[in-house]
Amino acid sequence: MSAPSIIGETDVATPTLRAQLHRSSFWTFAGAGIILVAIVAVLVSGGANVAGRALAGDNPAPAGSMALVEVLRQQGVTVTLADSLAAVRSLAETDSTVLLYDENSYLVDSQLTQLTRLAARTIVVAPDFLTLQSLAPTVGFGGVSGAKSLVADCALPAANRAEELIPGGDTLSLPADSLLIGCFPTGDNTFSVVANGRATLVADLRVFNNENVAGYGNAALALGLLGQSDSLIWYLPTLADLPRTGPPSLAALTPGWVTPVLVLLGLTAVAAAFWRGRRFGPLVAENLPVTVKASETMEGRARLYARGNARLRALDALRIGAVQRLASTVGLGRLAQLEEIMLTVAGITGRTSAEVRNVLVEAVPTTDAQLLALSDALQALERAASRAVAAGATASVSQQSLSDPAERMEP
Amino acid sequence: MTFSGRFVALVALGVVPIVLLGNTVPAAFGLLIVWLLLVTVLGGIDLALAASPRALTVERMLPERVRLGESVTSGLYLSNSGRRRLVGVVRDAWQPSAGASTNRTPIEIPPGERRLVSLVLTPFRRGERRALQVTVRSRGPLGLWSRQVTLNAPGRIRVLPPFHARKHLPSRITRLKELDGRTSVMVRGPGTEFDSLREYVRGDDVRSIDWRATARRNDVMVRTWRPERDRRVVIVLDTGRTSAARVSDGPRLDSAFEAALLLAALASVAGDRVDFLAFDRRVRGRVQGASGAALLSQMVDSMALIDSELIEMDWAAVPGQVRSVTSQHALIVLLTSIDAAGASTGLLSVLPQLTKRHTVVVASVLDPVTVLAAGERGGRDEIYRAAAAERALLDVARVSAAIRQLGADVVTDSPAQLPPALADRYIALKAAGRL
Repeated sequence: MSAPSIIGETDVATPTLRAQLHRSSFWTFAGAGIILVAIVAVLVSGGANVAGRALAGDNPAPAGSMALVEVLRQQGVTVTLADSLAAVRSLAETDSTVLLYDENSYLVDSQLTQLTRLAARTIVVAPDFLTLQSLAPTVGFGGVSGAKSLVADCALPAANRAEELIPGGDTLSLPADSLLIGCFPTGDNTFSVVANGRATLVADLRVFNNENVAGYGNAALALGLLGQSDSLIWYLPTLADLPRTGPPSLAALTPGWVTPVLVLLGLTAVAAAFWRGRRFGPLVAENLPVTVKASETMEGRARLYARGNARLRALDALRIGAVQRLASTVGLGRLAQLEEIMLTVAGITGRTSAEVRNVLVEAVPTTDAQLLALSDALQALERAASRAVAAGATASVSQQSLSDPAERMEP
Repeated sequence: MTFSGRFVALVALGVVPIVLLGNTVPAAFGLLIVWLLLVTVLGGIDLALAASPRALTVERMLPERVRLGESVTSGLYLSNSGRRRLVGVVRDAWQPSAGASTNRTPIEIPPGERRLVSLVLTPFRRGERRALQVTVRSRGPLGLWSRQVTLNAPGRIRVLPPFHARKHLPSRITRLKELDGRTSVMVRGPGTEFDSLREYVRGDDVRSIDWRATARRNDVMVRTWRPERDRRVVIVLDTGRTSAARVSDGPRLDSAFEAALLLAALASVAGDRVDFLAFDRRVRGRVQGASGAALLSQMVDSMALIDSELIEMDWAAVPGQVRSVTSQHALIVLLTSIDAAGASTGLLSVLPQLTKRHTVVVASVLDPVTVLAAGERGGRDEIYRAAAAERALLDVARVSAAIRQLGADVVTDSPAQLPPALADRYIALKAAGRL
């Protein structure tokens, strides 16, 4: 080995932190800009598109009821939004009015009874079957009103002041002999508003929403019904009203530290991933030579033979090889004629000429079994020929050694 | 920058205070944040106190060459020019086939001092193996966070072909000596040169008695002969696409290298002039006019960098290349592959030009798998495989016959046997005086 070579002059491949920041500054600013634009876009466009909850007192969308609530507040009514029966219970005073709109039928019979007991007046908007069963068992559904115009035509003061209501809404039906007051009749004992003592049922929710409250006498009816007392509880039931059944939930049972510990373990996993995954310097590339197995062409040709069932072609290849080996075994040159080889082989091995010819030339295999048999026969012939040649060689040697003493004894 | 396992464990240790003290959700989250701040601050302090690997200077000490299969020690001197003691790990980034033993060396360098990191390399691939960079991780005193910096420190080592066929050299040299004048009885031929006259001893061939000298000296004299010397041997190596094929363990090219080296060693001992040429469409390696030890070292040196090119060999240019080496009669050894007749047309078409002036030997590696497959006749698939193998052998035999017909000689054998077979053929040609 020659003298060691020394390489000096070390320069650093890893950029400094400052250089890294400088290099990535464009992308940092670009990313921040994109996020900023996205936030502004959401803020600008977001509010208007959301439908929000129907008849919610804080919803300015067409389906909400913020307009009505704001007008009531301006008129000196204390409007409180409630989302559970418990909240209503804590807010309710003796002279409170409650607006109930149970869109998803969360309330059960007992809760509805409790609710009507809590407040002096209950306005039920678009009552469902269960509510009707509980509050006014005699009232039924009347279908959609077909009347062109709805006129009050009843003794309810608020309805009378409203005079006319938005047509085409749901109605409620009363039995012919009912004692309840029905207002805004469509005909055949169907009404848009039914008063039942402390509870007033308004079938059409459009009377209260922002979109339609200003039309017809909707606003007059709504304000008349809801503004009867100084305090109004605007109650839209939520999931919190569903009665809790079964054992306490998992969240109630877990101690306070569980979530933070999970977060910590997650961060530990991230740190461990960085610990194990951090590469110790860049990878070193190396060009590897393309080396294909030389025997691949042979294997490919074998598969082609097998797929095409080329028995005769395969056997011919085996025969040519065998004939060449036989020729050298029996001592004939590479250029010997086939007939000559066959005759010599037949002579040496003691087989008939026809048999040797059949194996080496004539037999045509039609099945794989025949091919196997012929291949075995070829090998057997080769073995027999080499055995015969070896035996012949030793025999001639032993004959010589045996005959020598005999000759000597002769004279 | 990077973390240590100790830092990960420290982060995980935060579970203890959170479980013990965090009774309510907000308290537990507060503890979590406090703990994370604590470990981050500790890590930051640790990082700030670690010595900067940028202050290191790297020097390499490398031998230039190594024979494939042998081991060599690579030295890496690291000088700390900073003000802090550097404790950490060094990785010397060698290519995978350089066969570096352990690539992570712990080091500790006090300021202003120098340390040697030595690495044992056992390359397992021929050619030039490189190291580009050295990466250093410098640990802080707490062992939590580390600084990591990569330093450019290029190094290279040339891995020479192994020349396993060396083991055949002594026996072949002995046989070569037997051709020499000392045993003149055995050698009498047109190609041998007259050496000297000596007295007849019993056992000498009577045909080698020089009657004229006998008459002059009044004693029976015999002529002695010695094999011809100062002949030219030109080894042409095909580095085209067929040399990339793998036979047994290595590519054909490597077997051809072995054969070429053994032949060159033998011929240079026998007093012949050897020229070496690796060629496909252009010259990949050439050794001319060297002899003795210089010949072999120049040959392995040029072979180290030769790889098979995936292009067709340009046989038409070979006669011109040979002419540029020598215009005298020479032994041309073509180390190539003999496959199907179609693939060998280029070789066959230029052989007449070569055989007209020179003695030509075509040497090729024969795949032992093919020979084995021809004898296996177990089942249906094996029969077809044997048939394909027989067909491949037949192709080789046909091309060999064609080559012989054009006046060249053919040597084919398995990768392990080709070098001695080629050497034997050379000795036979020499004995016959055909060089």
